[in-house]
Amino acid sequence: MQVAFFTNLINMLPLNILVLMLLLPLIGALIAYLFGGKGARAITLLVTTIELGFAFLLILGTPSVGSDPGGMSHTVSYLLARLGTTSDAPVFEIILGVDGISMVMILLSNLVVLVAALTSNHIHESEGLYYMLFLVLQTGLLGVFMALDLIGFFIWWELVLIPMFFIIGRWGEEGCRHAAIKFFIYTHLGSAVMLIGFFYLYFESAMVNVIGYATAVPTFSMVALRNLGLDPWVQIGFALALFMGAGVKLPVWPLHNWLPWAHVKAPTPGSVILAGILLKMGGYAFIRLGLWMVPAAISRLAIPFAIVAIFTCIYAAFTAMAQSDMKSLVAYTSINHMSWVLLGVAAYAAGSTSTNPIIHAAAILAIEGSIFMMFSHGTIISVMFITAGQLKYNAGTREIPAIKGLMKQAPRLSAVLIIASLAAFGFPGFSGFIAEALIIFGSIVVYYWAAFIGFGIFITVGYMLWMLNRIVFSEPDPEKEVKESPWVDLIAPILMLIPVILLGVWPDLILHIVKPVVDAMLAGGIP
Amino acid sequence: MMQLNLIADFIRNALAPLRNFILTYIPSDWIMSLPAITLVVFGIIALVVGLRYKPLVISFIGVIIATIEMVLFDPSTMSGYSFGTLFIRDAFTDFFIYIVLTVAFLVLMSSTIWGGDHGVYNFLLMTSFAGALFVIMATDLIALFVAWELMSTPTYVLVAISPRKESVDGATKYFVMGLLATMLMLFGIALTYGVAGTTNLNALSVFVNNLWSSSAGTGPAVYILILAMILFVISFGFKVGIFPGWQWVPDAYASADGSVTAYLAGGSKKTGVSALMRILMIGFFFAKVDWAPLIAGVAILTMVIGNVLALAQKDIMRMLAYSSIAMMGYLFIGIAAGNVIGLAAASFHAFAHAIMKSAAFILIWAMSYKLSKRITYDDLAGLNKRSPVASAMFAVLMLSLAGMPLTVGFWSKLILFQSAVVAGMWWLALIGILNSVFSLGYYLRVLRYTYFEEPKDDSKIHLPPVIMIAVGICVIAVFALFIFPNVILDYAFAAAQSFFP
Repeated sequence: MQVAFFTNLINMLPLNILVLMLLLPLIGALIAYLFGGKGARAITLLVTTIELGFAFLLILGTPSVGSDPGGMSHTVSYLLARLGTTSDAPVFEIILGVDGISMVMILLSNLVVLVAALTSNHIHESEGLYYMLFLVLQTGLLGVFMALDLIGFFIWWELVLIPMFFIIGRWGEEGCRHAAIKFFIYTHLGSAVMLIGFFYLYFESAMVNVIGYATAVPTFSMVALRNLGLDPWVQIGFALALFMGAGVKLPVWPLHNWLPWAHVKAPTPGSVILAGILLKMGGYAFIRLGLWMVPAAISRLAIPFAIVAIFTCIYAAFTAMAQSDMKSLVAYTSINHMSWVLLGVAAYAAGSTSTNPIIHAAAILAIEGSIFMMFSHGTIISVMFITAGQLKYNAGTREIPAIKGLMKQAPRLSAVLIIASLAAFGFPGFSGFIAEALIIFGSIVVYYWAAFIGFGIFITVGYMLWMLNRIVFSEPDPEKEVKESPWVDLIAPILMLIPVILLGVWPDLILHIVKPVVDAMLAGGIP
Repeated sequence: MMQLNLIADFIRNALAPLRNFILTYIPSDWIMSLPAITLVVFGIIALVVGLRYKPLVISFIGVIIATIEMVLFDPSTMSGYSFGTLFIRDAFTDFFIYIVLTVAFLVLMSSTIWGGDHGVYNFLLMTSFAGALFVIMATDLIALFVAWELMSTPTYVLVAISPRKESVDGATKYFVMGLLATMLMLFGIALTYGVAGTTNLNALSVFVNNLWSSSAGTGPAVYILILAMILFVISFGFKVGIFPGWQWVPDAYASADGSVTAYLAGGSKKTGVSALMRILMIGFFFAKVDWAPLIAGVAILTMVIGNVLALAQKDIMRMLAYSSIAMMGYLFIGIAAGNVIGLAAASFHAFAHAIMKSAAFILIWAMSYKLSKRITYDDLAGLNKRSPVASAMFAVLMLSLAGMPLTVGFWSKLILFQSAVVAGMWWLALIGILNSVFSLGYYLRVLRYTYFEEPKDDSKIHLPPVIMIAVGICVIAVFALFIFPNVILDYAFAAAQSFFP
């Protein structure tokens, strides 16, 4: 989507818009730390709002497939280190650039971060430090979706960990320290394996002689690596390492163990960001580093990936059903839903090379559904986590059996919870339905046995309605009073419900941006 | 290219008259050793002045003058040899000398809180700095041995005279093991001389080349030289704190006063690294096939020992000591790789480790001195409420040691692992990465205590401003070198290339 007016507006900016978007939260972080207290919150809200404005500006003023190499736009690079004293020595660079998929993810992250900032109104301890970490986190998240080289990607990817570690461990609930360390080590181990994969590709991109100088300059640039057309076996090696790194983040069974801990123990804004964006980093990595960069590997690994995805979906649904803590239930819901993304990726990888036009069209449907799912899940799960956090304030507990009669005592909160739950299990009219429909219609054509994931939907509907039954529609317990949420606390979830409903009735808003990239992705690299 | 050359040229031009004056009146044989000689001279002056006044300022002046002399006499434009061919300055030695001088400056800053007002303390420190410079410059095994003693002997005393009771124990262990290492080194030198008939490293290199390329009848000579090489690795590795000579490290580091510990970890450790690199890369260059696996094995054992034992510590000083052992394990990955990028990475890591570890030791020492107790994890609880700046700086240093992005530790580890892969030792890089993840166990524990735990005692801790400045400089460098690693990395590559003419 490109509107000339906004393109001109972007060109009028003093800096490259991507650099500006990365620097603004960093500067804001410094100011927020110096102000502390209420001032920090005001600055954070200001910065995140401006960032959201930038994201809209970016998406409105930039073509989905740009003119820069790899179909990117606004490409900019910064030399970090040169390994050697000669000018042809290998370099570590940070390259930034966006295409349609990145822009959608950037919009999502800025949206979720703004909502998370709004819900931070219950944080009163060391606010300066909190909002500083919060804004640094935003820089890291944006960087992941903008990075076009593996080292830069890794740096941003790791940069997200540090503030998140502090936010979970410092402002979380009972037991959060353990959760924070578990989160950090789990994801760091995954990233370390992924880093090995990055280096593997790096060395495969050049021949290296005995004393350590490459005969061709090796590169970390994603566009260059994509254009190299690496040997499929090399690609598969990389894809397995990627599976460790991105699979921990997504997460897929059996790498999901950190997630319930981190999500449940984190403060509400932390959970919102974790579920809203951090998981999408995994999905994005599968698409950008997997499908986009090493398509041959993912298409060969499609069947195992699809099986893992389907198993994860059903497994997580059953586990979610057994949870009595509301936040825990929502956490498992995210595992359940993110596995759909992997299924879409696998179906696309398997079907996109098919000559049969029906399978081909289905594959495109599946990947569009994956990206749509990431966006829609990011918005829906934010609302779910905010309401789960609200229950703690209003009812004094999040234990599902202990909360009764929410509808009678807190109708506003109940309304939000009901809408979010319906959207989460894919009720038609909400964005969740479109996402699930696209993925399942697409993947069934590619793999008929992908229909098994329908069983996951079935259970999801079951536990969601059961949860609503127990919390919302039960008879109020006279001994336990539930307070109604003040409107202030409901601004954020209601704001977030707008895209959920809007995309439910008008999915083309996102799909139109994604479609050209998906078509271009099919063509693969240059050779 | 060589970003700091502008500054160096400016200093050279500004001080040209002084340079000419020195060139006229000082024997040309001494010029290149002048920084080290200056340190000794100022050490003696500090000793005398210390009888009546506080001598610390003399030491500062000495270190600054030595640094200026380093800049004034550039070995790339004049002969680098001094005292015949016993000592040499080239790109490689300069890199390590600047590390030692940087650490020396930090150590003197931290000596303001304890020890700096004693003449003896200053004298011993300055002598040891001078010895360190000579060790780095030595190209002859005998000169190396003498310089080694000049550097080590004062540190035995320095460890012993700390304000802590247990320091004599630590010093004794250090002394005994130090003597053992010295004996082994002498034995190695004797064996080398017996076989090769020379103690000059360049001559040794030629001999080794001939020996290794000739096929028949040279068995015993080869085995004896390999034995000598192993003895060198053990004896120099003792100072570096690698397997098998690491046992003294935690005791000495934890019991000495923090400034001396910072010097041991940041400075004298690096001299051992540089001496080993010089012996292996020059003397035994042609025997690389034989020593590369040996060094790789040493690196693996050192990493594992350091990380596993660091996890078991309660005392922060001991934890840092073990972590410093582990860091040396990573460094030896680069030496085992033995290529340009590996040696550059090892040098760069030596620099990064010097600033990170010196700062960490100085900070903990200042805190320990302030609270007059050993610092354990429990004492760090809630540090961010008691001293926000100190805890933030300590957190940055820990993240840097763990190798997280935004800190220089990220680059130094990354390039080290990369060098191993370039040399075809991907398994070594893999073990390094796994160890690096494992090490998060104790680095994160520090963050957990400083940021997540509630303090038992809410009183503020005010650390002396000099300490905060010294640590602050290091923390800023840790960030700055992430964004501009080439400021140092270029010099590291130049240093590494001096082995591959």
